[in-house]
This record gives sequence, structure tokens and C-alpha cells, in this order.
Amino acid sequence: MKDLKLVVQRFDPVKDASPKMVEYAVPKREGMTVLDALLYARDYVDHSIGLRFSCRQASCGSCGMKINGRPRLACYTQVEELGGEKVVAQPMDNFAIIKDLVTDLGSFFDKHKAVTPRLVREDGEEQERPTGEYLMTPGELSKVLQFTYCIKCGLCTSSCPTVATDERYPGPQALTQAYRYSADARDQGGAERIAALDNSHGVWRCHFAGSCSYVCPKGVDPALGIQLLKRHVMTGKPPHAKDEASKVWKAPESGR
Amino acid sequence: MRESRLMLLQYITALLAVALVAVHLLTQGIIYPYSTAISFGTILSLYRNGLYAIFLEALLVVVLVHGFNGVRIILHEWRQTAPWSRWVDIGTVVAIVATVAFGSKTVILAVFGGASG
Ligand code: SF4
Repeated sequence: MKDLKLVVQRFDPVKDASPKMVEYAVPKREGMTVLDALLYARDYVDHSIGLRFSCRQASCGSCGMKINGRPRLACYTQVEELGGEKVVAQPMDNFAIIKDLVTDLGSFFDKHKAVTPRLVREDGEEQERPTGEYLMTPGELSKVLQFTYCIKCGLCTSSCPTVATDERYPGPQALTQAYRYSADARDQGGAERIAALDNSHGVWRCHFAGSCSYVCPKGVDPALGIQLLKRHVMTGKPPHAKDEASKVWKAPESGR
Repeated sequence: MRESRLMLLQYITALLAVALVAVHLLTQGIIYPYSTAISFGTILSLYRNGLYAIFLEALLVVVLVHGFNGVRIILHEWRQTAPWSRWVDIGTVVAIVATVAFGSKTVILAVFGGASG
């Protein structure tokens, strides 16, 4: 089998004046992912290639990068689906480069945290020391389920044209999570989130380019989440009527 | 004002502008042939029709609010410092008030005989 031409953007901001593209020959094998190819190059050709990865199964969101011009997960992208001849790996756009393919996700997680990505309840004492479980109906779960699949890989944010031009814009991931928690039948923190997002650099700066949904590897569809959030912010009402069933506490069974 | 209120205004003025511009163009095309629609006399006679003058005033306000609010949004995205944002907001209000006043003056003078055909 012919070798794969793997081109990696190399850049160390501490030492280099500008990025350069370096080519590596990688022996191909069936089922090889871009992450496999990068690890081969790092392990057998050049130990100094900087890349971040962990689970190798599209669960952790660590190996996001730009592959052949499009944000993708390296572990979730087969070399063959890119034509099998040449793979170009670059760091994600819209993030500062730490080294080579490793980007600084600090601001991404700060923006995620800023939308209070957790259930907020008025009965704080109960939330701290729960005496039972809040149940959701299947209908309530279906309203938020797809948005819970986010693995915080940052691909959507790296593809977003508004993030590229407005550094205060929370970005598709954070906005989608704001909707995800506000639409959760067990949550009562919608007003708090709205207050943080209803400004000239908040949810309204999404112009629905849709690139976030195009690149999301988990089918979250952040563009949809943002449009639903806009309706929620505009009306000030909870995203949907919360079914009565969700208000029922289920007493913990003895001996659990 | 909350951004959601301004965006609601933007959406409403967009819809109104589409409707009003459509009425404006249709009126021009149906009542007058396009060839004479923009002659001085035709326009003045339209201004002197009270209902049409109110319609033109509404069109003026709707288009200017929508246009300047749109520019405000672009300028907010262009730079993100707090002083810039504040001046953009102030500038938008001043621009809308000034241009609506200027346009209204034209309509009012025409209605009440400030110009003759
Ligand atoms: S919404 Fe999709 S692309 Fe964005 S961070 Fe979550 S999983 Fe990644």
C-alpha cells in the first residue's frame, strides 16, 4: 500500500516566527484514522509533534483540529474518507495555538461556565442534599437529549464566523448549553441565563451561518439550539411547558 | 434597552418595510404609469393626499429605524469595547431622530403647502 502523505502545521509560538507545513510519510493500513497517522508520525518520525488526544473514540473531544480544511475529530476521521492520499492537519481556527495542533481552550471553557451549565433550582437546600430524584417524562427528555451529546470538542466554535470577529460572543457551544439547561424540565435558572446572554454580544449575534451544525461530530445541531434559545430569550418564557410528572419526587428506596 | 427588544423591533420593522415598500411600488405602478410616477407634480399631489402622506411618514420611520439599527448591530460586531458600544448606541439614536426629523419636515412642508407644483 502506498504511503500516506501527512502534512502537519508546525508552530511553537515561543520559538517560531510563523507556522510552517511539514510533510511526513506514513505507512497506511486499513481503518487508519487521522489520529493513528499522527501518532505514527510522532512515535516513529518526529517526537516533537504537539497534539492532544485521549479516548480515541469521539467521546472526550480532545483531538479536535482542522483536517483538510474542515474542523474534525482526528480519532473520528478515517484517512480513506479523505481520499487516502494526502491529509493536512492544522490547529483549529479561532483558538490561540499552544503548540502545533494543540490549541488553548481556556476561553472556550470560560464561556461554557459563564452560561451556568448545570441545573439551577430555587430549593437550594434540596438540591444540595436531595431526598429523592426528579423524574423527567420521555417528552421532556426528548426536548434536550440531542443537546446533551456535546463533548466540548470546540469544533463548532472554531468554525463560527461570529466567534472569529467578536471575542465577547459566547459561541455556539456555550449558547447551545444555555438552551440545554434552560429547556430542562428540572431547571429553574432560565432567567439568570437570559440576563447573561441578552446583550449586544450575546445570543443575537448569531447570524445562522450554520457551520457549527455542519462540523459537529455528535449531531448536536448547535445552530438549532441557538435559534430555540433566541425564542426563549425573546419571549422570556420557559422553552416549553414543564410536564406535571417532572414535579413528582420519587422517594429513595430504603437500603439504597 | 434589552437587545431582545431591539431585535424584536428589527424583525417587526423588517416585515413592515416589506409590506410598505410593496404597497408603495404597487401604488406607483397601478395608479400612475412608472414613466410619470417620479415627476415633481405627481409626487407633490401624492404628498398632499393626507392618507398617502401618513403612509410615507410610516415608511420613512420604519426604514430608518430598521436601517440604522442594522448599522448599529454591524458596528457592535466591528469593535467590542464598552465605550465604543455606548457611542454606537448614542449615535444610532441621534441618527434616527435627525433623519426622521429631516424627512418629516419634507412631508409636512409638502402636505401644508411648503412647495408648489
Ligand atoms: S456542539 Fe458539537 S462541535 Fe460543538 S463542542 Fe459540542 S460536540 Fe463539539
